[in-house]
Amino acid sequence: MKIRIDHIAKIEGHASFTADIVRGDIKGARVKIEEGARFFEGILRGREDEELPEIASRICGVCPVVHNLTGFKALENAYGLQIDETSILLRKLMMLGQLINSHALHLFFFSLADFFGFKTDLQLINVYPESTHDAIKVRDIGNKIVEIIGGRSVHPLTPSLGGLRKAPDSNKLKELLNDLKNNLELAIKLGELFTKLKYPEFYRETSYVSLYNLDEYAIYNGNINVGKLNLKPEEFLLLVNEFQGPDKVAKRTKFAAKTYMVGALARLHNNRENLNPQAKKLLEKSGLKFPCYNPFYNILAQAVEIVHCFEESIKLLELLTIGEIKISLPKASKRTGEGIGTIEAPRGTLFYSVKIKEGIIEDLNIITPTAQNLANLEGDLEEFEHIVGFKDLNREERADKIKMLIRAYDPCVTCSVH
Amino acid sequence: MNKKTEKPIIAILSLTCCEGCQVAIFDLGERFLEFLTKVNIGDFRLIEGLPDVSKYDIAIVEGTAITKEQQRRLKIIRNKSKILIAIGACACVGGPQEIKDYRGNKNRIIRRIYPNIRGIDNPNVKSVKEMVKVDLEIPGCPINKNEFFDLMSKVLESGEIPEIPQKPVCEECPRKNKNCLLLLGKPCLGPITLAGCGAPCPTSDFPCDGCRGPRKGINLLAIKNVLKVKARLKDKEIEMLFERFGEKNEFLKANKKI
Repeated sequence: MKIRIDHIAKIEGHASFTADIVRGDIKGARVKIEEGARFFEGILRGREDEELPEIASRICGVCPVVHNLTGFKALENAYGLQIDETSILLRKLMMLGQLINSHALHLFFFSLADFFGFKTDLQLINVYPESTHDAIKVRDIGNKIVEIIGGRSVHPLTPSLGGLRKAPDSNKLKELLNDLKNNLELAIKLGELFTKLKYPEFYRETSYVSLYNLDEYAIYNGNINVGKLNLKPEEFLLLVNEFQGPDKVAKRTKFAAKTYMVGALARLHNNRENLNPQAKKLLEKSGLKFPCYNPFYNILAQAVEIVHCFEESIKLLELLTIGEIKISLPKASKRTGEGIGTIEAPRGTLFYSVKIKEGIIEDLNIITPTAQNLANLEGDLEEFEHIVGFKDLNREERADKIKMLIRAYDPCVTCSVH
Repeated sequence: MNKKTEKPIIAILSLTCCEGCQVAIFDLGERFLEFLTKVNIGDFRLIEGLPDVSKYDIAIVEGTAITKEQQRRLKIIRNKSKILIAIGACACVGGPQEIKDYRGNKNRIIRRIYPNIRGIDNPNVKSVKEMVKVDLEIPGCPINKNEFFDLMSKVLESGEIPEIPQKPVCEECPRKNKNCLLLLGKPCLGPITLAGCGAPCPTSDFPCDGCRGPRKGINLLAIKNVLKVKARLKDKEIEMLFERFGEKNEFLKANKKI
């Protein structure tokens, strides 16, 4: 029997799915990317260094902040530029805003309807009007953070080589702090909704990869944790194999010939001791046990992260609203070198490697979270007949469960084809 | 008649792009929810996976048609829609994916990325209006969500196609009377770029790079001279700046004939 899903709705970008079921066993599970290639790594060669973050931010309209900042981080790493503390705090805040708005979109508008068997969010909105408004409010706050610091919510403008070109208005930051404090309860309430859902039972062991930092829930810097290994980004990139997938346009990756998972669930695995108190409480309340090799819980992990991001934003804004905001923009003394930028994007670790000669981009490689997750997702789908209750499902219900797993990964197809 | 059937059928559709314009529509938040109550959704994959309907009153299209399947789909969309609105830099002027078409051998570019280039579509990138008839363009990278909301409200209220006033970004720029970025030596394309964005870039000290494409009747020679003298750009650098969102061919077309 062939399973074929032509258009998977409620993910970023276009993808389809095919597999065969041979005597109850799933074979040849493939997520096919149906997006045109834009060749970002090619069109940027020969262009000026500072065009990299600006143009590369157009890889993704859902997570432009992380593409933009990772581009700058790679350049700053190549030039040995040191960024001042305040600029780092502001950049981190932008990322927290990005995580909040991206997760809120995925949790409420992409994934939640699956748990109720709704085919459209319009049903969800009608049945749960209050939660809809809560989700919109939470998402708005994420957007507002990015807007106030970055200049606008999609494709930020203020990040610059060495820091930020413009400091935000301190009154607006105070306003933002109030908004966050007033709505922390709402974020927790939304999070609690996701602790009460019934997650499908499925299990496949994998390695969880994310940034790791002893002092904080790492999103902006740190080494790379791969299961129990802790590697420098350059070491990780040497060991990772990036290859063209069967659909040609999207690449996949493996680490030591094995698939691995990045994203919210991976971050919780590697970093949960550093979660803020309310997020920790929510995680405890959910009863989630680690290690957790059920990828459906990536959804719950995102809900926990939203709460963490609210708390973290409050912490950072309390520091930033003490006095005047002063930022400096150090100049690069040389514009030749090789560098790596890494960041935790909403969907997982994002890598940029660049080679620059006298200010001109000579070489560029970008590894996106979805490119890394695709092989792991396909590995899960290959074993999907082991999901509890699979043999009792009819054709349509099986397709719905498969779509639900694909959505749980929160794939960003536009990112995977760059 | 059932009141519900009087609501226009709207489709929000995406071709190859970053999908940031759909995100910008989502970013309308409560206003987006209100918008949903005024229309029937014919197709909007970000919120539903229902079977497609046969006709749209209004199709809103972002992105460029790169794969053969997308090119086929775009023609179908046009045929089944009364009004087709192109949104964003990709749909209106080609987007950054068009850069490769200005950069010589485009197969050389893709060989550096993909070991196996068979099966990868690599046509010349075209804006939506170069492929099918477009009734309204709402440009920008991303679109200005407020402008989108206002224009859509006008379309929904009157059924007529509104026009975006032919003004330069400078008219909306808070720096127009002091600290003009161009006069400070920054490569700003505000004078030749169509307003309506609200000038978020120069507001953030970021020079306008023309994502909305040209206003009518620009003087390219004049802006090139200013970019050379004030911003000290060389000819090649000016060309590359004009290419950033694929808008170079549009600038050439909009140039005032002297």
